[in-house]
Amino acid sequence: MTASAERQDGIKHLFIWPAFLIVLVISLFPLIYALTVSFQTVRIVPPTPPRFVGLDNYAQIASSARFWGAIGTTALITFLSVAAQYVLGFLLALALHHNVPGASLYRVTFLLPMFLAPVGVALIARMVFHPYLGPVNDAMAGLGFAYVPFLTEKWPAIMVLAVIDTWQWTPFVTLLMLAGLQGLPQEVFEAARVDNIGAWRRFWGITFPMLLPLSVAVIFIRLIEGFKIIDTVFVLTGGGPGTATETLTLFAYNEGFKKFNLGLTSALSFLFLIVVIVFATVYLAAAQRLTRRYA
Amino acid sequence: MIENPGLRRIGLLLCLVWLFFAAFPLYWVLVTAFKPPLAVSQGPTYIPFVDFQPTMQAFRDAFAGLRGDFIGPIVSSILVSVTATVLSVFLGTMAAYALVRFTFRIRLLAGVAFAVMSIGGFILLDSLTGLRVPHALLIVLFTALPVAVWLNGRALPGPILGNDDVTFWFVSQRIFPPIVSAFAIYLLYAEMGKIGLPLLDTFGGMVIVYTAFGLPFAVWLMRDFLTTVPLEVEEAAMVDNIGRMRIFLQIVLPMATPGLIATSMIVLAFVWNEFLFALLLTTGDWQTLPILLAGQNSSRGDEWWAISVAALISIGPMVVVAAILGRMMRSGLLSGSIK
Amino acid sequence: MKKLLLTAALLPIGGMAAAQCAPDFTGVTLNVSTQNGPAIASALSAAAEVWEAKTCGTVNVIEFPFGELYPKFLTAMSQGTGDFDVIGFVPAWLPDFSPFLSTMPAALQEGSNWDDIHPTYRERLMVWDGEVKSATMDGDMHMLNLRADLLENPDEQKAFEAKYGYPLAAPVTWAQYRDQAEFFNRPDQGMYGTAEAYRRGGQQFWYFFSHAASYTNNPNNPGSMFFDPETMDAQINNPGWLRALEEYKDVLQFNPPGALNNGSGDVRPLYAGGTVAMNLDWADSGVLGSTEGVIDGYVRTAMLPGSTEIWNHKSKAWDTFPEVIHSPFLAFGGWQLGVPADSKNQEAAWDFVATVISPEVSGRAIVTANSGVNPYRFSHYDNLDAWSSIFSAEEAASYLGAQRASLDAPNVALDLRLPGFFSYTEVLEIELSKALAGEVEPQAALDAIAAEWNRLTDEFGRDTQLAAYRASVGLPPLK
Repeated sequence: MTASAERQDGIKHLFIWPAFLIVLVISLFPLIYALTVSFQTVRIVPPTPPRFVGLDNYAQIASSARFWGAIGTTALITFLSVAAQYVLGFLLALALHHNVPGASLYRVTFLLPMFLAPVGVALIARMVFHPYLGPVNDAMAGLGFAYVPFLTEKWPAIMVLAVIDTWQWTPFVTLLMLAGLQGLPQEVFEAARVDNIGAWRRFWGITFPMLLPLSVAVIFIRLIEGFKIIDTVFVLTGGGPGTATETLTLFAYNEGFKKFNLGLTSALSFLFLIVVIVFATVYLAAAQRLTRRYA
Repeated sequence: MIENPGLRRIGLLLCLVWLFFAAFPLYWVLVTAFKPPLAVSQGPTYIPFVDFQPTMQAFRDAFAGLRGDFIGPIVSSILVSVTATVLSVFLGTMAAYALVRFTFRIRLLAGVAFAVMSIGGFILLDSLTGLRVPHALLIVLFTALPVAVWLNGRALPGPILGNDDVTFWFVSQRIFPPIVSAFAIYLLYAEMGKIGLPLLDTFGGMVIVYTAFGLPFAVWLMRDFLTTVPLEVEEAAMVDNIGRMRIFLQIVLPMATPGLIATSMIVLAFVWNEFLFALLLTTGDWQTLPILLAGQNSSRGDEWWAISVAALISIGPMVVVAAILGRMMRSGLLSGSIK
Repeated sequence: MKKLLLTAALLPIGGMAAAQCAPDFTGVTLNVSTQNGPAIASALSAAAEVWEAKTCGTVNVIEFPFGELYPKFLTAMSQGTGDFDVIGFVPAWLPDFSPFLSTMPAALQEGSNWDDIHPTYRERLMVWDGEVKSATMDGDMHMLNLRADLLENPDEQKAFEAKYGYPLAAPVTWAQYRDQAEFFNRPDQGMYGTAEAYRRGGQQFWYFFSHAASYTNNPNNPGSMFFDPETMDAQINNPGWLRALEEYKDVLQFNPPGALNNGSGDVRPLYAGGTVAMNLDWADSGVLGSTEGVIDGYVRTAMLPGSTEIWNHKSKAWDTFPEVIHSPFLAFGGWQLGVPADSKNQEAAWDFVATVISPEVSGRAIVTANSGVNPYRFSHYDNLDAWSSIFSAEEAASYLGAQRASLDAPNVALDLRLPGFFSYTEVLEIELSKALAGEVEPQAALDAIAAEWNRLTDEFGRDTQLAAYRASVGLPPLK
């Protein structure tokens, strides 16, 4: 590398350090705090002086059926809804990209669910799925179906939660995939059209592979954000019946903000972090292999 | 664009079905906002003037401040989220640009050294000296960071991390469950306040947190969008000896417009909707809309009409934003097709 | 000046307008925080106007969602940021908050305004560890809301007596309550027997407690409803609690469809909208029924039903009583105000609290629509005329009579107040929702709750929890 190229390279620090520093400063202290506290019992109510307990918190969480149950529920809801979001979102983006009639109307309407705070979405969902006053069961009754206890039984409740998540976050996928489609070089498609390659093959041969890196990022962001699902669960089922629909963040919220059992909550957060990082590494490695196969 | 008519019809059908699915809950909110209580409590009603007599009472209550002050949160939500979005998208795009055009080599050992020095150092300072949290944190940062940078320049053994890992580091900051982080940030801000730098319930404090929130998304998404920006134009500019910063601002950013807009919308949506940090970090002056919206779920029961009004108010500014950005995205499409 | 004139009009007390700034809190800004309005927050805002005019101070009412008040207040107070000068909260949190709260100044704990507060609040709910840590600004308890259009209908009366063998009237036992729920349950006419809250997170456990008080709050063993006051052993799986749970679950069949999903907020419009013949609720149902409901004029209120049999945890047998014993349950117990110890304006803050709870200001609040404030002073119960804007004379008499009778009842049952409240109620809600959904048997659910309660008590320290529990039920400390 020549000296001038080296100097040219120096400017990369100017580009990356501001972002790096802000994220570092905001995330460093919580990390340190959570790490220290996770080895202690810290309770604000009833006030108990912090006491070092080693790995007790971790052991307690790792052996708690409720924790693993919550991980299972969270993963189930997230995988179901992210899969639906990706497929639907991509299809909608394709339709919008090809300018179906009325595209500008859809463009705005489709985006709106994303801009409503999850707690608002949850409250609206409670209205819509209200067993007695809501329109969904009313429509079911009108169509001659039996009344469905959407929110008080495990499986209907999990499906409802996944549907709501899909409602709110499909726009996220649509928006990004649409932007991705618009950024694709047109020449390739022109060439394909000249060669009279069918739409199906054009999609799998050109569009999909070229958007694969973006898809990987979009799905990953949706997964890690989806894992934090709390508001809809909190408002719609409270995690019930029993703990059948309790998600991880709701569990952590109750431990941390209702019982103020901060040591346990921190240990829980780290265990969760480890689970997700392991999962993420596998996911990204698989995604990379897939990308390479297409490239 | 010429397309297979069959596919077009399927696409249109899909859009229409989704339009109903996406819009029906919003329609429900819209009509519920005008319902008198009995039109809610006696079973579902659908069409104003047919099923029920609409009333403006819920809107009057909201703007009379009966259900909390709406004006304050609207203003603070807009100021905070727009500022944080602009900052994080701009800084994130810069970082993403660096990650696309340059290679970073970070020795794992230097990273580990930084973690050990900062975490261990902080714990030592905190338990041995009576230093306040912000001071200890600053000392740790200002020693560990230069040392780690210096170490990175040495020929240390062990694996070397590349650009992908840096990107992953950014995104991984979003994985940690927010419960403990929110409490820790609250502690940090409270301590900052005690040494005379008020961050709790201030514009600055909120913007910093939300910028840090938006950055991981901005970095990762923009990195993907920037890879599709062709290199040739930049190289031509470089030959003309135009500075990197100018290339970035005047050539790269305009070419990445669709991605920039999409990313801004994503970041804006996250910041606009954020609840937990807003709850802990604000008191009276900078309370944001999600807090107010959650507050309509009162202990006194579900007053659907009030919830609906609050939801409409909180989504209102975003309708405008979505419309403007949607339009810009169209023009972005045009400019994109020129290249 | 405008504000001054307004206050003079609001406060018909001689010399008020002339005596500016007494006491003088010019330049003081109080941060007063509670849940989002209108309930409670609007009452505080109204009181703030009076106080501002009187003392020249400023009040800033800050509102948070009800569900987040507890963590918000606790984090702020535990860090000593001094963010709040006055907080409005609920009695169940007092044990957790009390280490961070200042004590009410002695001057406020005397005089006629003090004696006017009903002793159940003044001597029990406002007190923790022997000190007055909070001021009740709202009275609250569960009551039975009934409808005169049904109860006083001769046809209904005749049919009811023919079927059940006793005259139709406000139910005095839970068995009678069930009879009426069954009698009026007519799904084909769109009317259902009763409405209670069953949803997890919808305040369900207070409804369960209201049933349970009648079978477990034994007057022979005071304070033994939730725990054994000698050993702190959980009592929640004894036969009294089991009977309560079975009855609470049994009346589900007379609730409107989907009742498992109803919170207290859903129960209210069901009653006011005439969908159900009665409900179990706080005082809000009656007011809603008479102001916005279709049953205006027919709102009747009664004390919660009682029982002639109450479980005795010592003899492990049912005690039988010649008369029906009412154990009206003070669910929730009404909003309270406290002044955090880290407030920099404690003197002004307590002065503001005194204004809020003064007979004049609170007397207006209880009859203001949507203030969320219910009576808690003797003077509130006596002044029937003030209620004419909401109730007919008959409605007001039964509404106030039921509340007063509940407070005066010798066997009144207080809500659970214990450090670590959320830890105790969390497992309660989980197991309760399982039992109601039919996933586990009631006894198994109660056993699981009891086991977790005992474990929590040990974790928090059995002695300290026992001492706290005894204090909360008004028993002297154990030797």
